[in-house]
Amino acid sequence: MEGGFLGFLENNSIYIVLIIVLVVWAGIFLFLLGTDKRLKAIEKELKEKVSNEK
Amino acid sequence: MVWKIILFVLMCFVIITGISFPIVQNPQGWTQFPIIPGLGEKAKIIFFHVPAAWLSVLAFLMAMIYGIRYLRNKNLDEDAKSAAALQLGMMFCVLATITGSIWAKFNWGSFWNWDPRETSIFILLLIYGSLFALRSAIENEDKRARLSAVYSIIAFLTVPFFIFIMPRIMLGLHPGSLEIDPNTGKVVQGTNPVIDFKMNGNMRIVFFSSLIAFTILYVWMWKIRSRALIIKENLLNKSR
Repeated sequence: MEGGFLGFLENNSIYIVLIIVLVVWAGIFLFLLGTDKRLKAIEKELKEKVSNEK
Repeated sequence: MVWKIILFVLMCFVIITGISFPIVQNPQGWTQFPIIPGLGEKAKIIFFHVPAAWLSVLAFLMAMIYGIRYLRNKNLDEDAKSAAALQLGMMFCVLATITGSIWAKFNWGSFWNWDPRETSIFILLLIYGSLFALRSAIENEDKRARLSAVYSIIAFLTVPFFIFIMPRIMLGLHPGSLEIDPNTGKVVQGTNPVIDFKMNGNMRIVFFSSLIAFTILYVWMWKIRSRALIIKENLLNKSR
């Protein structure tokens, strides 16, 4: 049995489940951030186009 | 909008019940889950890890379907949809690997054991990772879409083997693999909580709610990402 944080997790396995849920959430969040970045770039491009046409 | 409300409610239900309902020896009420041999309380990972793995298979399947559709009608929108599915599939594949690896540390003693299941998902990651390298290496859109479509069709042919067959025909630690019976010493088919219905009624309801919720979430994320890719592509084409 290991001490410290790993030992704590071994004795309280519900927190392992919690970490796993957080990992899944972090992945989804990062993906949304990526999509948001793409949309922002598109918006910028559209704005530049509109201002060039004027 | 209805789907988004269903997603919100289902996901709340899964997170609350999946984390708070205890796992006990003899479940009495509907708020208790049964012990699955060898898994203990860590069995609750099934509500979050299995949907991630399922979504990666679904996403790779959709990437193949839209790849075929691109090859049939040469519409670049289909390629954008295929690319969005590929990106999501890769993300969920990585998530399934990370969550499985964390679980393995506490169930098997180390983060990585080269169990057949781990080896097969590693090979899948390599196969689909190289597809991204291929896509980013080609400038010409039509050529990129054509090669990517063909590659995603060939790559998906390996998915059923690596996800459903290989881990079940080899000795391994992952639930569902072959294992050695301690009493007889013979190789027997290990129990799989999902296929062998080791879960009780309410655990199954939470599990399938989780699968449905994650699938709706996936479709939503895929739609947003593919719309972004299609608009970007149209903008590029107009500026030429």
